[in-house]
Amino acid sequence: MRIPKFEYFSPSSIEEACSLLSKYKSEAKILAGGTDLFVKMKKKEILPKYVISLKKIKNLNFINWDEKEGLTIGPLVTHNDLVNNTIVREKYDFLAETCFKIGTRQVRNMGTLIGNLCNASPSSDLASPLLVLEAKLRTVSINGERVIPIEEFFVAPFKTALDPQEILVEIQIPKPPPSSSGSYKYIHKASSVGETLVGVAIFLKMDPQNLICEAIRIGLSSVAPTPIRAHMAEKFLIGKKIEEKVIKDSAEIVSSETKPRSRPWYRKEMSKVLFEEAIFSAMEKIK
Amino acid sequence: MKKRLIELKINGEYYEIAVEPQRTLLEVLREDLGFTGTKEACGTGECGACTVLIDGKPFLSCLTLAIESQGKEITTIEGLSKGNDLHPLQKAFIQYGAIQCGFCTSGMILNAKSILEENPKPSREEILKGLEGNLCRCTGYNKILEAILAVSEGEK
Repeated sequence: MRIPKFEYFSPSSIEEACSLLSKYKSEAKILAGGTDLFVKMKKKEILPKYVISLKKIKNLNFINWDEKEGLTIGPLVTHNDLVNNTIVREKYDFLAETCFKIGTRQVRNMGTLIGNLCNASPSSDLASPLLVLEAKLRTVSINGERVIPIEEFFVAPFKTALDPQEILVEIQIPKPPPSSSGSYKYIHKASSVGETLVGVAIFLKMDPQNLICEAIRIGLSSVAPTPIRAHMAEKFLIGKKIEEKVIKDSAEIVSSETKPRSRPWYRKEMSKVLFEEAIFSAMEKIK
Repeated sequence: MKKRLIELKINGEYYEIAVEPQRTLLEVLREDLGFTGTKEACGTGECGACTVLIDGKPFLSCLTLAIESQGKEITTIEGLSKGNDLHPLQKAFIQYGAIQCGFCTSGMILNAKSILEENPKPSREEILKGLEGNLCRCTGYNKILEAILAVSEGEK
């Protein structure tokens, strides 16, 4: 299988990359890890005339931690970089675990988080944890910068809110508050790359004494045209003591918020099961 | 598209070659430089047959551009043995019958090498997790696992 021909650019600065992108717009594609881009090109699903590689641009593989602002991740950071990062493992353990689940050893070594988000697969494992962490995505173009909340980023299957001239240059993840934790539970297809059938991420802030839910966010992968939040279930849970009946009731609400396109019954049932597993696991970590 | 002159460092030797930008490292290794030990199977990054080591880490050469492989240490299966002296993993694969058709073997051995370099004493589970991106349709993986475990124990 061959990659169709293209003209290759390897700019040495983001500004240069932006000006190339403003010239070629949707005829160009940005290259980071290549694990999605080149597969799509080989299958002739997309045929960009120009490929703009970010690899010659210095300092794009940063993972920075700031006690006030939280975590920022650059566009050349691979899944493996995150798995091996001690700050990420400590502060966002479920994000590191999710990265370890993605693809295969080789894909984790090549593929980037930001590339995964830009591919905007409805079954993206990373999307749910980043949705519940309320990540923000910073973009640049020749017209300037903007910051997109991740919930507004996925607009349709494999479509993002990015303008053809924009480059996603940073993921910003707020610092988690005390007495909070996260969890991601999934089931996947029995295939070589284990594509996720249903994924449920939870971010929970709970009083460890009386188990009152102070904040909760629920993210769902692979159960709707895009990764989504389960806002109704979140509203239901706020202020309640998290116990069996409340968990069962909120699982029903989560399930009702899904819009699976295929295998709907199975996906709806499994979203309940995985939600329960995820919330139990998040609670355990706070107690 | 215009060809570009690039320099690749493969198994410690330098090769200068003119390539078009869309050509993968896999194609250049096999078709231009004769390193046919690197195999193409799925071509889409799922099977791991094309795995090579770049700066010691496993890469899918079918999804890596040759022009982006410059300035790095590329290791193919041909770079493991020293003359007639096989690498311990190669010896173990033979000894434990971990090779049948052999098509997955080079990717399997190179990935195994990187697994052991990262963690010289992996558990069975850690080896299997590491090999999830290398498909073998002959052996059922048991003999491959045994071979890798034998080498890891040998390094204790």
